[in-house]
Amino acid sequence: MTFGVIGVLALVLCLAAVIFLVLVLQDDSESGDDGNRIVYGLTLNPSGFDPHINASNELGIPFFSVYDTLVYRHPQTMEFVPGLAEEWSMADNGLSWTFQLRRDVTFHDGDPFNAQAVAVNLDRITNPDIPSQKARGLLGPYTGYTIVDDFTITLELSEPYAPLLDALSQVYLGVASPKALSEYSKNTYQWHQVGTGPYRLDEVVPGDHIILKRNKDYAWGPVFYAPASDQSLDTIEFRFYEDAPTRSLALEDDQVQAIGELLPADAERMIGNPALRVVPVPIAGMPQQFFFNTQRAPTDQLAVRQALLYGTNRTAIANAVFQGQSPVAYGPLTSVTPFYDPVVETKYPYDPDFARSLLQGIGYQDSDGDGILERDGEPLTVRITFAPWNQMVDVAQLIQSQWRELGIEAELDLVSNFPDLIARADSGEYNLIGRYDFGVDASIITPYYLSDGLNNWSGYSDGELDDWLREAVRQPDPAMRAQLYKSVQGRIMDEAVILPIREYVNLNGTTARLDGVIFSGQGWWPLLRNFQLTQ
Amino acid sequence: MERRPGGEANIRTGEKVMTRPRTHPIRRYRRRALALALLGGIAGLTLLAPWLATADPRHAVPADQWLAPSAAHPFGTDHLGRDVFSRVLYGGRQTLAMGLLALGITLGPGLVMGLVAGYAGRWVDRALMTVMDALLAIPSLLLALALIVVLGSGTTQAALAVGIAGIPVYARVTRAAALEARALPHIEAARSIGVRPVGILGRHILPVIRPVLLSFAGVTFGWALLNGAALMFLGYGGDIAAPDWGVMLAGAREAFRSAPWAAVAPGVALSLTVFATNLLASSFNGSRASK
Repeated sequence: MTFGVIGVLALVLCLAAVIFLVLVLQDDSESGDDGNRIVYGLTLNPSGFDPHINASNELGIPFFSVYDTLVYRHPQTMEFVPGLAEEWSMADNGLSWTFQLRRDVTFHDGDPFNAQAVAVNLDRITNPDIPSQKARGLLGPYTGYTIVDDFTITLELSEPYAPLLDALSQVYLGVASPKALSEYSKNTYQWHQVGTGPYRLDEVVPGDHIILKRNKDYAWGPVFYAPASDQSLDTIEFRFYEDAPTRSLALEDDQVQAIGELLPADAERMIGNPALRVVPVPIAGMPQQFFFNTQRAPTDQLAVRQALLYGTNRTAIANAVFQGQSPVAYGPLTSVTPFYDPVVETKYPYDPDFARSLLQGIGYQDSDGDGILERDGEPLTVRITFAPWNQMVDVAQLIQSQWRELGIEAELDLVSNFPDLIARADSGEYNLIGRYDFGVDASIITPYYLSDGLNNWSGYSDGELDDWLREAVRQPDPAMRAQLYKSVQGRIMDEAVILPIREYVNLNGTTARLDGVIFSGQGWWPLLRNFQLTQ
Repeated sequence: MERRPGGEANIRTGEKVMTRPRTHPIRRYRRRALALALLGGIAGLTLLAPWLATADPRHAVPADQWLAPSAAHPFGTDHLGRDVFSRVLYGGRQTLAMGLLALGITLGPGLVMGLVAGYAGRWVDRALMTVMDALLAIPSLLLALALIVVLGSGTTQAALAVGIAGIPVYARVTRAAALEARALPHIEAARSIGVRPVGILGRHILPVIRPVLLSFAGVTFGWALLNGAALMFLGYGGDIAAPDWGVMLAGAREAFRSAPWAAVAPGVALSLTVFATNLLASSFNGSRASK
């Protein structure tokens, strides 16, 4: 029994000593030669990190800086500037593009960069065994390549394809080291990625963290990459913060120095904090929106769709749900997207009285006094299907509340994930369905509006619209494309195919000690090369 | 049953074992009265919701979002500008109804299986309890989540899932009580003179184990409320705009730091209800009827 007390004390002391040692040792290892080090918070753990294979925007946050692309979009002008390709030209018939490659580039593993390396990457992306969720699609009508010489490669197309440079500027077509690709399988390469970019992959613990280290030999960056300095980041550790309310907490506690997708209310509160900075980045592509199902009653009637557009107070939604940090969306493209046509902004102002008169005009009346409109005894009910991300739950509830005042009953159908959303789309049992996609080139909308488009969830079919959409992808002249997309946007809104809600804005937060926080033209991906840590 | 101070005879072996001194009856009844008053008050408030509520619980006024408690909004407003007071009142209806439905689903099969297993013994007992034990290995909330996948989302489905998930524990407890009661002398006597099993179970065993069953039904109701609210919180209730304590907690969670009242009101309401339920359950403890 006497041993008991002494024994317990000794045990406690031993434990304390061990904990102390562990803490001290850990401290040592962290203040090693990491140099300027930050933790960057990722907002989700994607199903895979291989840009050639996976489609998540999140993977580009670390890996846009591990790879270089043949061309880049200048983040300010959105123009294409040289990357790994010094110059390029399109053949007159639009069926081939020739790229002159830089001669001074080496991969992180010491392999030289050349036309052969680009060819290996193209072969991998188009290999049906991979299979690519995004990169292959970006290449469009690509059919093959010709290696002209060590530093010249020609890409061949089956038809003219205007968005090719846009595709080549994205992380999904980043050029990976052929040596690394051959060393690892399609499943394991994602943990051993090797590129030519300003940062090299140092360590991956799947589901826990990713560490990038600065590539000290990097001297071939695009024109907008800042030169390295004492304040450049040497080590960047990426960690996951999937639960939105924890992100602002992590930032305020200095556990992370940069993080994306803050909740609008948290960003709003953070603006007053001198230790932190909010960096809102508008995202090009489609707005947060719903497609009307034009094949199912009652949204098969144009007047109903238009009434719903007039009867939705989008400003109130943007203010309440997004704290006014997102502009209201009016058309199928957001206002930062090239070829955006501002004429859509005039089309459906909030006008509940006009919405009521539209519905009355086609015979809807509240004949039984229950507050819901009917026609031939059928109440006016619409079913809204959506997934929970991007505050859609709140958006849908506000819409439901606004439409009830018009006498329209909205049934909310919340699905829990993307596969369920697709299953719902296949079933066709919805009047509105939330779906959107991001990309700088306006052709991002093509599969959503072509009559036989893969993602045509509205069921809308219009031969003229199809022609415009197809021609806009083939047409190399920007002025012609702008004209075509102007017609496209006008038609989509005249026919009330979608209910746009707000333009997507990624609310990033950083510590005020970080300078040079800037994002790629696509909006999602930080240009880590330009980040500076001041003390 | 013979009683001695500070201990009692084990009904099976006759050994004297130490037992906790029982709560004094007066204190127990006071506790029960307090519990019933609390529960009655909560149920009354929710039933009177249409008259007490100051606003339509579903009506969103985006311009009024996150208003602090005031005379117009006693509990403030939530992220969509809805009146939290009215939502808490209406929300109690759904939360309590789900709890009651789940309780009913747990009690029926749980009671029957427990009684049959405890009374019949042998292979019936072994077979039933093996299944129950296997189910008991899974935490009840997890079991309810698994059931939701099969049943689909919706408030009735959620209540059903919570109810079914509660069966194994209730069957286990009933069986233990029945097993103990079966060995009582007057019940053994009834068996020996050939009274039919149904008669023995209904007339002799049930009255003996009633306090245990009631007490544990109270505990089960508390669990059902919490598990039901958890499923609603996780979004398995179907109607996401519904006034419901679990749904309200989920909606208020994201803005807890700027508008805590939207989460505090349903949280306190839920805690208070579960507290009252547990209090009621404990007031049955030890008041074992003896004949």
